[in-house]
Amino acid sequence: MNAARGSLCLKNVTVAYQGIEALAEVSLTLKPGEAAALIGLSGSGKTTLLNTCNALIQPTNGAVSIDGKKFSEMSSQELRYARSRIGFIHQSLSLVPNLRVIQNVVSGRLGQRSFLGGARDLLFPSTNVVEKVYEVLDSVGIAEKIYERTDRLSGGQQQRVAIARALFQDPLILLADEPISSVDPVRAKATISLIREICKKKGLTLCVSLHNLDLAKTFFPRLIGLQDGRLIFDKATETVGANEINKLFNLPDGCIDFGPLTSKPSMLGKSLE
Amino acid sequence: MNRASSGQRRMVIITLAIAGVWAANALKLNPIDLVTNNTSIIYDFFSRALSPAMDYESDVPLGTKPLIVKTLSAAWQTILFAAAAMGISLIGGVLFGFLASSSLMIESARGTVKYITVTLYGLVRFLMALIRSIHELLWAVLFLVAFGISELSAVIALALPCTGILAKIFSELIDETSRSAAHAIRGGGGTPIQVYFFVLLPQTIPDLLAYSFYRFECLLRSSAVLGFFGYPTLGFYIAASFENLFYGEVWCYLYTLFLLVAIVDIWSNQIRAELKL
Ligand SMILES: Nc1ncnc2c1ncn2[C@@H]1O[C@H](COP(=O)(O)OP(=O)(O)O)[C@@H](O)[C@H]1O
Ligand SMILES: [Mg+2]
Repeated sequence: MNAARGSLCLKNVTVAYQGIEALAEVSLTLKPGEAAALIGLSGSGKTTLLNTCNALIQPTNGAVSIDGKKFSEMSSQELRYARSRIGFIHQSLSLVPNLRVIQNVVSGRLGQRSFLGGARDLLFPSTNVVEKVYEVLDSVGIAEKIYERTDRLSGGQQQRVAIARALFQDPLILLADEPISSVDPVRAKATISLIREICKKKGLTLCVSLHNLDLAKTFFPRLIGLQDGRLIFDKATETVGANEINKLFNLPDGCIDFGPLTSKPSMLGKSLE
Repeated sequence: MNRASSGQRRMVIITLAIAGVWAANALKLNPIDLVTNNTSIIYDFFSRALSPAMDYESDVPLGTKPLIVKTLSAAWQTILFAAAAMGISLIGGVLFGFLASSSLMIESARGTVKYITVTLYGLVRFLMALIRSIHELLWAVLFLVAFGISELSAVIALALPCTGILAKIFSELIDETSRSAAHAIRGGGGTPIQVYFFVLLPQTIPDLLAYSFYRFECLLRSSAVLGFFGYPTLGFYIAASFENLFYGEVWCYLYTLFLLVAIVDIWSNQIRAELKL
């Protein structure tokens, strides 16, 4: 057995696109089982940061390591294994629309399967696999949709399929990039709460990027503030002051924070997506 | 549509029209050539279109299969050649379509891996262009010279250009598919081959099937023409009846071919409707 427990460490990570830095000298560590929310304006580098955490983006400088092992020093086998234990819920959901729900969920585990094993899971899943998929779908509340075509589900239901696919990987670390950007406010709260509960129960390390400050404060013990690719603060939620928040969102000093920032996009001058 | 591009389009159309007139002039095309001494043959042939033969137009030895039976068995042979070629081309198209698409480049590779990937991509695209630049009937003639009449070489002759075309079309369909799900699975540890077969290919299946059916139609026609070289498909009997001026029989074979193509068309429409549900 691998001694993997799910710690994640970024050290002086810089990512530059054509010379322009999307992420600058970011260092942070998530201990196994820890939960943190990543907050910042649109374009502050949240997606870029999360994508370096499963090596979909390679840093121009600095290093990302999982359980003490740097991505850049892994063999392709090790990289594949590491990735297979990192669940990722993408902002655009990234599902295959014309496959069934069960097939999308099962494809989360391709990183742990051979080619033929994967083919079998997708085309002729064993009862064991079907039961596991059912269980995961049940935990996100859409078990009855298991054989439905994915593009026939509502946005909120597809969201849950994306979560189920990440959970089906049996991950040690769960990353989520604005997982609630496509659902209504009520559903948003339920979704974040659900992700948080599942991670607590299974002891998964969790990092979620959010543009809703209220939800971040309610559900996460640790907040990480990003601005123009730089780490502005990284500390326990109750110690984050109003002035730090104002600075993060380029608000004038003394302006109190007003919950869901999306409700006042015009005041901020910058889009909050 | 903006003004610049509509102006560009006009230029293209005018250029094409001029090129067409110039080519016709260079070839000395003249409509009068169509109405010369052959009018009676043309009339004989087309007048039989409304009354295709249901039985032989000459005395045949006792025990010869009825015309309809012979037609159906020729049609069956035509289908067999086309289907065998289709099977090979589909497998070849899917496999080479993978290498000819940018599937291996979903993630920016480094060093030797990148070098190998790009070389393979270029090599396969070149190979596919090579095999499809020669028409199946030309391949058939080449193989005929090399191996004589052989079912296998006929099937391969049909399959070669079809594989080249399918690989090109499949790879383009793959490259037009959204990469977002592919990235997600790659980020979860999926290999490029898994991503191609289980994420990208499923998304293109409706288009891929539609195009494959169209290619099957083309194969049916080419398979029929193979008969002119002596294979037992419809073309073999068309050539024989034509030589003997039995135009009624020719029309019987032609209508059978038309029927085959129509059936494939209906079948393809049904399957696509089911997929779209
Ligand atoms: N593929 C890319 N090419 C060039 N620039 C990019 C690319 N992806 C992101 N960027 C830039 O990097 C910055 C950070 O983007 P991103 O990580 O998507 O921010 P966020 O997720 O917080 O909105 C932005 O300025 C964006 O324009
Ligand atoms: Mg983003």
